[in-house]
Amino acid sequence: MNTQDQHGRARPGPRGRRSRTLRFGTAALMLWAGLATPLGPAPQRAEAAEDKQVLTVAVAQSVDSLSPFLASRLVSTSIHRLTYEYLTNYDPKDARPIPGFATKWSPSADKLTWTYTIRSDSTWSDGKKATAEDAAWTFNKIMTDEGAAPANGSYVTNFRKVTAPSPTKLVIELKKPQATMAALDVPIVPKHIWEKVGDFSEFNNDKTFPIVGNGPFVLTGYKPDSYVRLKPNKDFWRGAPKFDELVFRYYKDGDAAVAALQKGEVSFVQGLTPAQAAALEKQKNIKVNDAPGRRFYALATNPGARTKDGERFGDGHESLLDEKVRHALFMAVDRETIIDKVFQGHAVKGEGYIPPRFPQYFWKPSAGQELAHDPAKAAQLLDEAGYRKNGDGKRVGKDGKPINYRVLCHATDPNDKAVGQYLTEWWGELGIGVTLNCLDNVSDPWLAGTYDLAFDGWSVNPDPDFVLSIHTCAALPTTPDAIGATDNFICDKKYDDLYAQQLAEYDPARRAEIVKRMESRLYDTGYMNVMAYPNAVEAYRTDQIKSIETMPSDAGNIYGQDGYWSWWSAVPAAAEESSGGSGSTGVVVGVVAGVVVLAGAGVFLAMRRRSTADDRE
Amino acid sequence: MTTEATPPPDATPPTDATPPVAKDGGGGGAGAGPRALARQRRLRSVLRFWRQYRTHRAGLLGLAALVLFALTALTAPLTVGSDVAGVTGAPGRPLESPSGEFPLGTDRFGRDLLGLLVWGSRVSLLVGLLAAVLSVAIGALVGITAGHFRGAYATVMMRITDWFLVMPTLVLAIALATVMSRSLGTIVLAIGVTSWPTTARLVRAQTLAVESRPYIERAKALGGGHWHIMSRHVLPNVMPLVLAQTTLMISSSILAEATLAFLGLGDPTVVSWGGLLQEAREAGAVSSGAWWYLVPPGVAIAVVALAFTLCGRAVESVLNPRLGVAR
Repeated sequence: MNTQDQHGRARPGPRGRRSRTLRFGTAALMLWAGLATPLGPAPQRAEAAEDKQVLTVAVAQSVDSLSPFLASRLVSTSIHRLTYEYLTNYDPKDARPIPGFATKWSPSADKLTWTYTIRSDSTWSDGKKATAEDAAWTFNKIMTDEGAAPANGSYVTNFRKVTAPSPTKLVIELKKPQATMAALDVPIVPKHIWEKVGDFSEFNNDKTFPIVGNGPFVLTGYKPDSYVRLKPNKDFWRGAPKFDELVFRYYKDGDAAVAALQKGEVSFVQGLTPAQAAALEKQKNIKVNDAPGRRFYALATNPGARTKDGERFGDGHESLLDEKVRHALFMAVDRETIIDKVFQGHAVKGEGYIPPRFPQYFWKPSAGQELAHDPAKAAQLLDEAGYRKNGDGKRVGKDGKPINYRVLCHATDPNDKAVGQYLTEWWGELGIGVTLNCLDNVSDPWLAGTYDLAFDGWSVNPDPDFVLSIHTCAALPTTPDAIGATDNFICDKKYDDLYAQQLAEYDPARRAEIVKRMESRLYDTGYMNVMAYPNAVEAYRTDQIKSIETMPSDAGNIYGQDGYWSWWSAVPAAAEESSGGSGSTGVVVGVVAGVVVLAGAGVFLAMRRRSTADDRE
Repeated sequence: MTTEATPPPDATPPTDATPPVAKDGGGGGAGAGPRALARQRRLRSVLRFWRQYRTHRAGLLGLAALVLFALTALTAPLTVGSDVAGVTGAPGRPLESPSGEFPLGTDRFGRDLLGLLVWGSRVSLLVGLLAAVLSVAIGALVGITAGHFRGAYATVMMRITDWFLVMPTLVLAIALATVMSRSLGTIVLAIGVTSWPTTARLVRAQTLAVESRPYIERAKALGGGHWHIMSRHVLPNVMPLVLAQTTLMISSSILAEATLAFLGLGDPTVVSWGGLLQEAREAGAVSSGAWWYLVPPGVAIAVVALAFTLCGRAVESVLNPRLGVAR
């Protein structure tokens, strides 16, 4: 389930929260990495020059867990894609389900029993044969053990029974029809290894290496926030990967990662800022890939946090319960400017919930329905809703106090802060105050419902079921303290009815039609203001990687695909010495000058201080 | 700044530091009243201070730089206006290099960086000033009370001071800034409550020295209470030290503010020099070669911190007779 993006909200959970100390460390590291890298000694020898071909990928997101039963972050699920097989995979061309661990699948006439044919040419890396029994065990574990459910529990809630009548046959019986049966993004684990595990909620699968798997790569080493090391699985049924080693190396600072790419220390960098992309485009031996992303970037409204039973909690502003107010806030946001200034063209203007990357589900509002940028109309709507300006030009809430919204933003995401500044000014003109609340860990206020609006973003899978499910009433938490699957506590009867309909609809065209109606409903409620679909902006060294498959193959992304295509398909370039980057000379000179000035001041201070030290009390 | 409490360099007991009590007003020369006398004495000591300060060339240089920065910051509403920080009306394209229209280029929103630099000086100076005052106030309070009361109280206070002294200030400040909401007040508080221990130690030492002088004993014998001794006799005598310490503290507070803002702990909607550096880093200015985004705020921080340090050193050597000999 690759729903978690690099900067997306960390799925709350005991493992998802980094300790404070770690964060300070990271902050300090970032500072040092930023300073030290451009000044580093002579460029390290490009790894491609050795006879071992190593593909090094710069990553920033920490691994939450290497256990497929717990991991939900993009980096971890990407690693699981590489090391385990899933029943089905997605075609890199058009994201249509294609054979993975299963070669064939079909529903029964009553739509309630699905039969999968499991391939017989897949073996675990310890030599044992991978069979339907492993798959059945994996699903049964998730269904029966609460501790194994956090990551993929949502896929099996509707399962009645999973059995493996023969090593090549897997049968799943459902309670109700479920349209997502060809898109079960659940890594299948080896039963003979995992049945020895005691507590699944505690086991992180990071103690004994290599980790037994049957994907195109085998995980051979991992050090938190330092590296993840993988070697190719020579017996992989689709063919072995071409590189001799794949390493995810951590760079917590974007500029440090780019500097490493310029020096040839890493082969691939993702999550570039517009300025970095522009600078890298001018360099030789580096190719910048700017592809439509599969993520949406939205502003989520707190619709009044509540539990499944309707118990209210949190302290979202009561004015946001009014649809007119939400529409007014929507209309005051100029999405064109956000695309133009914040993303500088590396994004597509937001419309419906699902990005245009998935054309069959992409929906955009009709001219009459659209909440286009119109500050005058927004002011009028607020007046109609009864939130009028007082003498100071501030809109006053029903409690007589000026309205001031707390906007939750990710301190790690520069875009949040940038868009937040625009919001402050746009809504300020309407007479509404904004407090940007930028936190490293937004989970706590988010789960407690103690916010008014929040920056939100999810990566969308080829099958949109998951991102649609997080806005249903069923996803609400059971108690105020519990963690629900809900995104921002939306619970809408009409939307839920449509959700149930689409899940039971096996005809793709009709299902897509219902999904679009859901998006339309979501848009009308004004709870989710999808502002942009950010592009995946990434770059790689062409003198280290000769070719690499994007997904979709026509103008697609490389990092965080729905499948293992990019790293599996990457072909090493002929070994040659790569030249170090020289584009940053100006900066290096600037930084050196700055450091010299500071050091001079420091030395001066120290000397003055020392000379008076004896005199001081 | 008032220097009436300055002990004369010949280290006579500075009993004249206390404002004269009105009852012996007849003893004054030239028939002037006690208030006029006090005024004259203050004027004289200010002049004396200035004459001595003038001899420190580095101090003058620092003062000139400070006056320049203070004028820039104070007149910023007239010269650049608060609109310069607005993102919606940004005049340029993002990350334009320096040109005639934008002498220092533009930032990632297309705002004029020269304007931002000027506007940001207000926050940096304000935070530096407030944090230094807070820090020195805490330090002076702890130092004077610990020096005056001694005993168990002093031991406890000094152990607390020691604890703060060995704690890495930056880490403590980051911890505070993380748990509190992001605002200027938080930054001021975070810097203020973590950087006071040096001042406390200095002030306590001076307090001990002052309190061992005979006139304190005489004051006690005449019925002077704790409050009277601390406020009328000790405080005026540690004031020079406190003043010099404040001036020095400002520069480290400005640096600390910039550091915290650079680490992303500041209020993102407020323009400050450290905040500009942080934005530059987030926008990828280092790897994309946008030096005009990084260098000016960095140099500004360094220059202001240096100016305050130069002034502080000069003030210290003028006001503290024991340092005067070495210069």
